[in-house]
Amino acid sequence: MASANSKYDVVVIGGGHNGLVNAAYLARAGKKVLVLERRHVLGGAACTEEIFPGFKFSVCSYVVSLLRPEIIRDLDLPRHGLEILPLDGTFTPMPSGDYLWRVNDHGKTHREIARHSKVDAEAYDEFGKAMQAMCRFVKPILSMVPPDPATMNPKELMKLLFIGRRFQGMTSDDKYNQVQLMTMSAIDFLDQWFETDVLKATMSASGIIGTFLGVRSPGTAYVLLHHYMGEIDGAFRSWGFARGGTGAISNAIADAARESGVEIRTQAAIAQIMVKGGRARGVVLANGDEIYADVVSSSVDPRLTFVKMIEKEHLPAEFLEEINRYKFRGSSGKVNLALDALPNFKAMPGPGAHLRGAISISPSVEYMERAYDDAKYGNFSRRPYIDMVIPTLTDPSVAPPGKHILSCFVQYAPYKLRPGLNWDDQKEAFGNNVINTIAEYAPNIKDIILFKQVVTPLDLEREWGLTEGNIFQGELSLEQLFFLRPVPGYAQFRTPIKNLYMCGSATHPGGGIMGGPGRLAALEILKDVKGTA
Amino acid sequence: MPDARDVIIVGGGHNGLVTAFYLAKAGYKPLVLERRAQPGGAAITEEFHPGFRCSILAHAAGPLRPDVVRDMQLVKHGLTIITPEVGVVALSPDGRALILHNDREKAAQEIGKFSQKDASKYPEFQKSLAKVGKVIADALALTPPNIDSPSRGDLWGMLKTARSVRNLGKKDLYRLLRWGPMAAADLVAEYFETELLRATIAARGIFGTFLGPWSAGSALVLLVRSAGDSHPAGSACFAQGGMGSITQAMAAAATQAGAEIRSNADVIEIRVKNGAATGVVLSTGEEINAKAVISNADPKRTLLKLVDPVHLSPDFVMKLQHYRMPGTVAKVNLALSGLPEFTALNGSPESTLSGRIHIGPEIDYLERAFDESKYGNFSKHPYLEIAIPSVTDPSLAPPGKHVMSIYVQYAPYKLKGSDWDSQRVALGDTVVRTLAQYAPKLPELISSHQIITPQDLEDTYGLTGGPHLPR
Repeated sequence: MASANSKYDVVVIGGGHNGLVNAAYLARAGKKVLVLERRHVLGGAACTEEIFPGFKFSVCSYVVSLLRPEIIRDLDLPRHGLEILPLDGTFTPMPSGDYLWRVNDHGKTHREIARHSKVDAEAYDEFGKAMQAMCRFVKPILSMVPPDPATMNPKELMKLLFIGRRFQGMTSDDKYNQVQLMTMSAIDFLDQWFETDVLKATMSASGIIGTFLGVRSPGTAYVLLHHYMGEIDGAFRSWGFARGGTGAISNAIADAARESGVEIRTQAAIAQIMVKGGRARGVVLANGDEIYADVVSSSVDPRLTFVKMIEKEHLPAEFLEEINRYKFRGSSGKVNLALDALPNFKAMPGPGAHLRGAISISPSVEYMERAYDDAKYGNFSRRPYIDMVIPTLTDPSVAPPGKHILSCFVQYAPYKLRPGLNWDDQKEAFGNNVINTIAEYAPNIKDIILFKQVVTPLDLEREWGLTEGNIFQGELSLEQLFFLRPVPGYAQFRTPIKNLYMCGSATHPGGGIMGGPGRLAALEILKDVKGTA
Repeated sequence: MPDARDVIIVGGGHNGLVTAFYLAKAGYKPLVLERRAQPGGAAITEEFHPGFRCSILAHAAGPLRPDVVRDMQLVKHGLTIITPEVGVVALSPDGRALILHNDREKAAQEIGKFSQKDASKYPEFQKSLAKVGKVIADALALTPPNIDSPSRGDLWGMLKTARSVRNLGKKDLYRLLRWGPMAAADLVAEYFETELLRATIAARGIFGTFLGPWSAGSALVLLVRSAGDSHPAGSACFAQGGMGSITQAMAAAATQAGAEIRSNADVIEIRVKNGAATGVVLSTGEEINAKAVISNADPKRTLLKLVDPVHLSPDFVMKLQHYRMPGTVAKVNLALSGLPEFTALNGSPESTLSGRIHIGPEIDYLERAFDESKYGNFSKHPYLEIAIPSVTDPSLAPPGKHVMSIYVQYAPYKLKGSDWDSQRVALGDTVVRTLAQYAPKLPELISSHQIITPQDLEDTYGLTGGPHLPR
């Protein structure tokens, strides 16, 4: 129960999917929880908005696969309206007019890859098996609170031992694969398996998403795995849409949370976290209201939490230094299009099943790497990597009859442009460049656009509170993962301030609509407050 | 059938010689077979123009392990190490120079001319590098453990490493974990604001690798190098008479210990019977049997060229084919009629040029140089690491004259749409043009040049893929 001057046991900062998951788990354990969301809609980057009449855009995040199955189960999300519709395959058109089209049907994909290379078709099956073994090793780690390697606490050492044992339990080949995955670039890793350039290019794309790295940068092989881990209904490696748009996921979680007694307020921006005597006491809203709580759980990123919302004097200088060092470096943007008709791809004209999956503009390894080179020097890619989906083909409810939505994830769009450029001026050019790129593959695109929404990294920061526009609340690079996320020594959701916790994507296991951080943080909070309620 | 030797060592590079020495010490009778006329591998001194000698390939003694120097008594065998006062001098096109003395205080003082903040951070950075580097040095002294089924010795070694890791203390332990996978560019930016200093230190993380300063993992290379030498930008360390003196001393030590070294002995095959090596075949047809064969040649040459693949499992051969050893460095050696004048060093004493000279003034400069190599071109504005060893060792050139030894990066082994024979001259021109930006009169001083492309490294020196040179 809340103590005398506290209205709530826990106040959760931010109503994104992690904040909501966190709140739901806490409420289910009997806590009185309040969620405060700055925007008018819930969901953070997992939101659906009707920006153009009749068209419901999944403005930021647009596909789902990483949502932890235990969360779906625990919160009974299907009962709260969650329905995931499978996204079948990836279609990669090439400038030559050829294409690579991989689908979930094993035989079809095998024949399609064999059309490019017989050897690769064989290797593809082996690769899938190897990756599954890797995923099996990593998955339990996603559900565990990271150990602190610097302590001598036997419990923490047991966790390290557990990881060690699991590692030793793998086959010899898998062990070597795992070591390589943790250290290699996506391309170096894929080079060992495949010879077809377009296959390697399009597969490597998942190694760079949300990072400021190129497909040839060491460390990207791990991100490849992170994305390979997608799981829907227990099937590895499947991605899908939420019916009604990505916001439907957040809404289902919010619904489950409310059912457990969580109170949710939108348009409630937080100005400050109140700290007294090294303890968090509650929050002050932008309108001056003070809300007291025994525990404050922040799902916003560490920069906002510790630099913007807490006065310096409450934090150790060294901790702040680490927080300031934590890398965001957003590298992607989004272009959402309302379409009058379907795009017509030169490589495979007309409507068809190829439009129902992901459409990937990643025609060659060199294309991908050059896109990165532009970004390194502060330019958006002249020819970017684009991952597109047409959700209306699977879920017609999100657009008027006969109309479509084309949701385009674009990388690279570096948050920090080179001196002299700024995103407000570049926004239009960035959007046009994306459309021009698509037009090289689907020339009719320009004629069918009814409305265009461009989301730059700066927009992600301003509107969604994602510092530097990083969609994962901080780069998924090896030095910022697991027991180093967000900063060494504070990977267990606790902070230097008592009763203040972190529960967002900046904590283990990281970004994507996974919910892992929100759930794990809730379990840790409950450990600490057990008996005090 | 001739008598079986104890051990044959294929290749007389420095690692082959060190191996021969330790085996001879232990009572074996190793035979070292060197393809070229003199042992030394990449650590050799040759006359490339009448009267001008230099370390043809590697020009600076890297972190030579002190226990090896001691055990082999290299000094007694004629090795004199020259450690000039200046470690590195970094030049900037705007006419400024950053002179990094081996002495930490002096280096900090020079850095202070660019930034007081950086000057105060420098000693702190060096201390952390030394501490973290020490742990890596301990790990380097071990035979890498078999991660699949570690032996008892492996476990003991790993345990020792684990203990030294934990003894680092919380702060440095976190540093080690965080720095390892980082990009060198990020690491230096955490400490310093001066671009020239950042680039000079980050260069240590990319030298001889197929990495740019923005590549993740380049910080680890920097740390590994710090294991032997904690000067953030690296110190300078030359051998009197060139790098060949090191391997000559090693050869002498090995011979004295009881090893036999044969030059002009080109091994073309390693004989295998029932899964065991039984000896080697030379290009002359001569067969030498041995109880064990140790190869100092690179793994691809050893196992894909010298051993008949029928003796290896296809899986292993495939893994080996994936062993990455892309060459990234070329070497240019210049015979100079005088000491070049660098604009940025106007008025500095000659001793300023006694260490290494770094050309690669910005992180972006280095990264762009790397970018070109990714697409199969050599860098139009390369990163250069230069030594003028004749400044401290006049025996290398006629009186008043000098030799300049230049590492050129990036020079990818595989050129796109071209080959090294047709690009050799262009590479030389690029290097001289780059240098002329810093020393305008240098071209007039060149009496002769030697250009060693990655292709030459493979053909002449047997380095597959023209791989990285030791430093």
